[in-house]
Amino acid sequence: MPINHFRSTAAALGSATILALTGCSGDGSGGGENTSDPIVVGISLPLTGDFSEPGKGVQEGYEAWAKVVNDKGGLLGRQVELKILDDQSNADRVVADYEQLIGKDQVDLVVGPFSTRLVVPSARVAEEYDMLFVEPAGAAKEVFEQGFKNLFYAAPAVANDHYNHLAEHILALPPDQRPKTAAYAAMDDPFAQGTAYGLKEKLEAGGVKTVVNEVYPPNTTDFSGIAAKVAAAKADVLVGGSQYQDGVNLIVALQQLGYQPKLAAFSTAPTNPEFAKAIGNKTEGILSPTGYSQDAPYESNKEFVEKFKAQFGKEPEEDQANGYTTGQVVAAAVTAVGCAEQGECQKKLVDWLHSNKVDTVVGPLSWDATGKPQGAHMIQQWVGNDIKIVLPSDVKEAEFVYPKPAW
Amino acid sequence: MLVLQSIVLGLLLGGLYALLAAGLTLYFGIMRVVMIAHSAFLILAAYLAWWMHDRFGLDPLLSMVVTVPLFFAAGVALQRLLLTRLRPATLTMMSVLLTFAIALGVEGLLGYAFTGTQRRIQLGYGSASLELFGARIAVVKLIAFVLAAVALTSLYVLMKRTRFGWALRATIQHRDAARLLGIDTERVAGYGFGIGLATAAIGGTALSLDTTIYPSLHWHWIGPLMAIIVVGGLGSVPGAAAAAMVLGMAQSLLQIPMGTTWAQTVFYVALFATLAFRPQGFFGGRLAQRF
Repeated sequence: MPINHFRSTAAALGSATILALTGCSGDGSGGGENTSDPIVVGISLPLTGDFSEPGKGVQEGYEAWAKVVNDKGGLLGRQVELKILDDQSNADRVVADYEQLIGKDQVDLVVGPFSTRLVVPSARVAEEYDMLFVEPAGAAKEVFEQGFKNLFYAAPAVANDHYNHLAEHILALPPDQRPKTAAYAAMDDPFAQGTAYGLKEKLEAGGVKTVVNEVYPPNTTDFSGIAAKVAAAKADVLVGGSQYQDGVNLIVALQQLGYQPKLAAFSTAPTNPEFAKAIGNKTEGILSPTGYSQDAPYESNKEFVEKFKAQFGKEPEEDQANGYTTGQVVAAAVTAVGCAEQGECQKKLVDWLHSNKVDTVVGPLSWDATGKPQGAHMIQQWVGNDIKIVLPSDVKEAEFVYPKPAW
Repeated sequence: MLVLQSIVLGLLLGGLYALLAAGLTLYFGIMRVVMIAHSAFLILAAYLAWWMHDRFGLDPLLSMVVTVPLFFAAGVALQRLLLTRLRPATLTMMSVLLTFAIALGVEGLLGYAFTGTQRRIQLGYGSASLELFGARIAVVKLIAFVLAAVALTSLYVLMKRTRFGWALRATIQHRDAARLLGIDTERVAGYGFGIGLATAAIGGTALSLDTTIYPSLHWHWIGPLMAIIVVGGLGSVPGAAAAAMVLGMAQSLLQIPMGTTWAQTVFYVALFATLAFRPQGFFGGRLAQRF
């Protein structure tokens, strides 16, 4: 197997080079490289296969970030160059890709691929080579249970924290207005359930009684039974841990039964462009957490939306924003620390991110020791015929409406 | 209160199940064909209803003017051009493979034509409901139930009271004897298959009134529908209807104490019980005497 032999030789040579480099920069102060060399950022993305749609979205985000940075003169005076490999949505492929990028191609920095399934194996490679690993996707809690020290998730929150702003707001209401009971219906899926149960835990701790707690399998075709239970319990608050079609079907089934909650929150479904087309004018007051909004007033977001439209001729969505955010996080660390190469510099970048806050298109981000972001998602609400940010109050576009109008 | 509401919902659900399963049991009765693609055609009909509503603002019920004849013709063509070519000795087995391929084909074409985006027909009366002794009856569910009642009654009358129905039943009961009596069993079987697929057009329309649809949705339906026709006695439309009502009601009522996940298993428990204790089904007689 000559090819494999060549590969392992290359990998060995690669690690030797890293050792040599580490040795060198250990002696010097670490600042004296050639400013004409570009900073090469290595990325493996699922451009084909199961995750090709979101993968391509993240790629556009990375490309938009590189262009914005380069148009301003680059990082540390050096141009940024992306080296993107296609991992075909395959976990074995993604490992080989990052070994090649770090070991053979000697890229200066690496950033993450898309989806939890690919983030975990690739983060392990980055960890082995002591590389900083900022990633745009991997919100499941397993990612943060692997003991990674170099990993940072470049988004506001993991699933269980999506509703934090809403929980705070509800519990801060005066006691006579505060809802007393809540009903939860969640799909049997780690992400969808995580969002609903995150809120459930906080509301229960705050004294809001759980009256219905239904879990339904992803292949559920009839939602009228769940709706009947929720409607019979007459809960003040309704929380749906939904993907898309289940959320829509459940909302319609509840409306058919004449149930009018004071507050209704669903994950994912209400932010889907098809939502209003499916439900019509009966969306009033429905809440949803969101990781990204084109209208969010964060300073760099306006620039991102504008430049992205100019480059790609369309509006950026959440995947694109995640890629861009990842770039912003890395750039902030590189600018602050003043280096971008393999070796000791990586440790400094990691340390800096652990103790600092970074302003991004999704708001200011900071992380705990496992790389879990410390924020929460913005809460959007359907007001009139549009969905608007209502929480947290410093970025709101409209007032939070409570109790919600009848639907 | 919740029990009354659940009984009402169970009745409505059972009616929908009966309509969706009617064609499936008919194919088996006429030809011993296991039609995996039946639910794919339901979703196809639902998509056509959505498309006509989206494009021309047509009420989904009016789409049946186009889809019912279209599906009837497609059913006849499917039977005459494809299914008759299968060897009688292995017909049931091979029909599973063939119709599985057709289901994948329909799903792929739906994805190609309408993308994977999940759609729902937005109706002015989509969330309207009537009140009956404190229980709510959604208008769309009531329409679906009435559709089911009308379609199944028509089917029953057609089978029992018309010459074509007699010929079809004769073909179901004993194909060779029917042929000896001068019945063109090939042609009759073709029309029978067409009628089965026409019920899919009606069922799909009923489904589209109150469901969010997407190309792969049919896989969620085929399992419960297969269970219904086995419990009802393969080939018996009244049996399938009775089984659908019982299982729909059971699912709706069991949901109260057991939750959604376990309530869904009622179909499979019933399926196992049928196969173990009464393989010919609980509602049909012996296959030769059905109808």
